[in-house]
Amino acid sequence: MSEQMPGLPGPRPDATSEGYWTAAGRGELVVQRCSACGVHRHPPTEVCYSCSSLDWEWDPHPGLGTVYSYTWVERPIVPALAALGAYNTTVVELDATNGVVRILSRVTDIERADLVVGLPVEVHFDPAGEGVALPVFRPRRS
Amino acid sequence: MIDLKNQAAIVGFGYVPFGKRGEHAEKGHLRLVVEAVTAACADAGISPKDVDGYSSYYTPIDPPELFEAFGGKRLRYTAQTWGGGGASMCGAFQNAAMAVATGQADYVVVHKVMTMETGARYGQAFGQMGQGIPAIGGPFQHSVPYGLQAPGQMFALAARRHMHLYGTTTEQYARVTMHAREMAVNNPEARFRTPITVEDHHASQMIADPLRLFDFCMETDYGCAVVITSAERAQDAPSKPAYIAAAGVGAPFRFGNALMSFYNQPDEDFASSGQRAVSAEVYRLAGMDIADMDVAMVYDHFTAMVIMSLEDFGFCPKGEGGPYVEDGNLGLDGPLPVNPHGGNLAEAYTHGMSHVNEAVRQIRGTAINQIPGATNVLVVGGAGPSPTSGMILTGDPT
Repeated sequence: MSEQMPGLPGPRPDATSEGYWTAAGRGELVVQRCSACGVHRHPPTEVCYSCSSLDWEWDPHPGLGTVYSYTWVERPIVPALAALGAYNTTVVELDATNGVVRILSRVTDIERADLVVGLPVEVHFDPAGEGVALPVFRPRRS
Repeated sequence: MIDLKNQAAIVGFGYVPFGKRGEHAEKGHLRLVVEAVTAACADAGISPKDVDGYSSYYTPIDPPELFEAFGGKRLRYTAQTWGGGGASMCGAFQNAAMAVATGQADYVVVHKVMTMETGARYGQAFGQMGQGIPAIGGPFQHSVPYGLQAPGQMFALAARRHMHLYGTTTEQYARVTMHAREMAVNNPEARFRTPITVEDHHASQMIADPLRLFDFCMETDYGCAVVITSAERAQDAPSKPAYIAAAGVGAPFRFGNALMSFYNQPDEDFASSGQRAVSAEVYRLAGMDIADMDVAMVYDHFTAMVIMSLEDFGFCPKGEGGPYVEDGNLGLDGPLPVNPHGGNLAEAYTHGMSHVNEAVRQIRGTAINQIPGATNVLVVGGAGPSPTSGMILTGDPT
């Protein structure tokens, strides 16, 4: 369960996604990379959409990206979230990947009016259960 | 190559009166479907016992249950297509058409039913999966933990991107709902018949910015069924057949699990209904284009997605859906009238079935807001989930 989002479940890793979530648990962002052609992809899956290779590895990513799209949820599904007021879910496009990699996430430490498409963001982590964390983003500090 | 064009036809449709959420809960799903199939078969001039095929999408009632319930003589064909909600609804008609045209079955029924029992809400489809458990697996492990739990929230992401790229406005969203309400004024079966203004739309509750309550369709209790048979058998039908000129499903590159937690489509497809591939396919199969259509039934679960469907099906160039709507082009006197029955936003939300009903009525010449001489009708499946779908019905098979 996310520490910042009460009432929501955490991710339950599977054989394909485990490395992603446990890396986040260690404070690291990793992206799946095809061992054959080097194309990055997310969410994790078992075959390269580009070259069809079944071989893949985790590639550390510096965690910089930009906001691609977002919504502010004003009427949450989970009652416990109502106490937070409006919250955002945001699609972040990662910088410097081989092929498009967009991650559904959340931008923290931001006022509503400041969240715009194209905003540069950096990753940090929201603990979400034993050994796993959710990659989340905040406006870049530099 | 076998050409399927106009080799099958819709010869009957039936439904129970549309209800508000939970209104038909006491009847239950089976009763609602049975009533709808009975009515559809009566309209087609056959007995439910003559139905020897079922083609389904996203249904809680399986074909064997219906076959048993009606005491069907023999079951010869069953099929199911994928895609959440009514995304692939036209695919059920594609499968039905292939079956009757090739002699796999004589009469195939497509049905769809829903009753919202207490506590079961459309919008909570994915949220419910994540409630009361510490962790969620499968595709939703990448979205539900972040609080993305409902279709409206997912479509808001596409809507926001569309606004960013093309300058689409919430006033233009409002125009979609205003049009639907205007069409429903004359329709006694429609649930929302009161016209609204842009101000009314903007005063409705923000649900998932930029989408407000009046950008969402309604929850409806319903049961609907349609009978499909071969063009040859359709000659004996009591009413004018609606021939299936083309029906198909599809998705463009990297749109496989679109909008759930997969957001890697090319930009022009992310901010879209995901229907670029299937629209090209149905026009190709029918040998027709948008200019050949007389009226269109566009699945309107969310206003923003209607605007994107118009673009993907060629009503207007990409990015110009907002101005197209704002200029009044959806109306009865526009270049291509859309949803003269009021659609999902004003008549009822039936995961696409009531759009098919209206398409058949227009071809028969029995619609309330009848388009004079309507012959070719475009039917657009639900935007967003994958595969989505499209269909062209015609009253002129020559």
